[in-house]
Amino acid sequence: MKKAKAGSKRASGAVDFETVRELARIAAEFDLAEVEAEPSGRVRIRRGVAGAPVASPFDPATPARPTGTIALLPSAAAETGVVISSPFVGTFYRAASPETAQFVELGQMVRKGQVVCIVEAMKLMNEIESESDGKVVEILVKNGDHVEYGQAMFRLSQG
Amino acid sequence: MFKKVLVANRGEIALRVIRACREMGIRSVAVHSTADADSLHVRFADEKVCIGPAPSKQSYLFIPALISAAEVTGADAVHPGYGFLSESADFAEVVGKCGLIWIGPQASVMRTMGDKVAARKAMSAAGVPILPGTGAIETDRAADEAVERIGLPVIIKAAGGGGGRGMKIVEDRARLRSQLAAARAEAQAGFNNPTVYIERYIARPRHIEVQVLGDGSSAIALGERECSIQRRHQKLVEEAPSVALDDERRQELLRMARKATTAIGYRTVGTLEFLLDENKKFHFMEMNTRIQVEHTVTEEVFGVDLVREQIRLAAGDSLRLRGDLRPRGHAIEVRINAEDPITFAPSPGVITALNLPGGLGVRVDTHVYANYRVPSSYDSLIAKLIVRADNRPAAIARLRRALFEFVVEGIKTNVDFHRRLIDHPDFIAGRLDTHLIERM
Repeated sequence: MKKAKAGSKRASGAVDFETVRELARIAAEFDLAEVEAEPSGRVRIRRGVAGAPVASPFDPATPARPTGTIALLPSAAAETGVVISSPFVGTFYRAASPETAQFVELGQMVRKGQVVCIVEAMKLMNEIESESDGKVVEILVKNGDHVEYGQAMFRLSQG
Repeated sequence: MFKKVLVANRGEIALRVIRACREMGIRSVAVHSTADADSLHVRFADEKVCIGPAPSKQSYLFIPALISAAEVTGADAVHPGYGFLSESADFAEVVGKCGLIWIGPQASVMRTMGDKVAARKAMSAAGVPILPGTGAIETDRAADEAVERIGLPVIIKAAGGGGGRGMKIVEDRARLRSQLAAARAEAQAGFNNPTVYIERYIARPRHIEVQVLGDGSSAIALGERECSIQRRHQKLVEEAPSVALDDERRQELLRMARKATTAIGYRTVGTLEFLLDENKKFHFMEMNTRIQVEHTVTEEVFGVDLVREQIRLAAGDSLRLRGDLRPRGHAIEVRINAEDPITFAPSPGVITALNLPGGLGVRVDTHVYANYRVPSSYDSLIAKLIVRADNRPAAIARLRRALFEFVVEGIKTNVDFHRRLIDHPDFIAGRLDTHLIERM
């Protein structure tokens, strides 16, 4: 699964989906791991390394990850805290736009109800809020990656 | 041809489509609910996306999740399978608006055929005989007049229904009005459309259907299937060809089906369902605008991969099956359900041991395996057992042998029921009608 990273196309604050779509198409066609286009006109591409496994939520070779229907995974909670998982299929963004700061950083404290990321689905930017207080100890998804329903995105430690 | 197809379904039919894609060199995307993470369709697809929790309404019937999954994976076409959204004209339209190809018919045709009143009208206009009946019944008086004209017994059907759901048989004139009210309420609850219509009721019909393929300008009819063995209007055993037809009746039926398919400009695979009455007259019942569960028996006797043809037609190819297509031998499919053989209640749970039959002329389409958990959220079909042999008696002998080898432990199934059914004298003699199971 190849990914098209187009974060910097959201320069004006509004996302140009036609361009994102086009970049995704180009990435797929030429087997590119990354396409990055900036408003200045600068374009950077990165070719996938042949034979190298590309980390992806949809890699059939990776064993099925547990996908909980709730944000709190009780079995894992004892040792790993609380997981914030995606409520639907979409694309994960850590900031509202490339110019704005990321919603949360590793090690940061978050409060219940605080926006931690955006999951874009059906052309809508959905702000995802934390369901509890805690410290961000792990960010499990990269900006621009696809997320599945129930996929863990952040891990928080509590107490 | 497509580069990547998203399969908007689960279970054996999702696997069936994924297999066709792999053989055609097309990448496939499986979608699944959290309950289906370990299903074979997920394992054998090139990519997989979890689209929601177990309830179908939040996963396999949830259009935004399906479209989003197609977008993030870069799929260029959507195959709906059967059931779920396969006959949703709305979904077909959304798929098209998102720049994806719908592997199925035009939304307008789906809309017409999905409305049974409109379908009767369209088929009648194409020269297909329909049962004496009515358009939408608006008033009690209209129902009275219809019964006067058609004669009892009649059947009240939901215009938005199909697949045997939402029907009321009226044998007693005094109960017409109450049955009509009940049918309307059920139609509203089940199909969100209270419109009903009335047809003559045939007490002991055969259910015979024709497999058709069209490319918009021409069409072929790929033989018939006999699906008379049903329980509560749900098919359990299907075979091809039907023993009820001589060659002359068969050619007449196939000609009629081909003509109707061409007339509506049909552009994919589909099925025209007919009732054959006691006087061997055909009556159109409904058209299924999708691949069907029992497409396999047609594949076996004609040596055609129907899902492959369906994908080719969606990609804009024209029909390549031509001329005098004749079935070779006889094929029978039995549906293996996870259900209590006495009460027919679903029997979900873990399959602790499994032996699938094999050998010459035996095909099993299934998504289950040993240690697989049959989820309680979906229908109970766990496998389709299909046999082919030179003739019907040989096919029954092979089916008996294959059922002998079919072992499922840990859950209840209808394997034993099928063993008894195929030894019933009426089944062996080919005296089939939709009430045979009630006589067992």
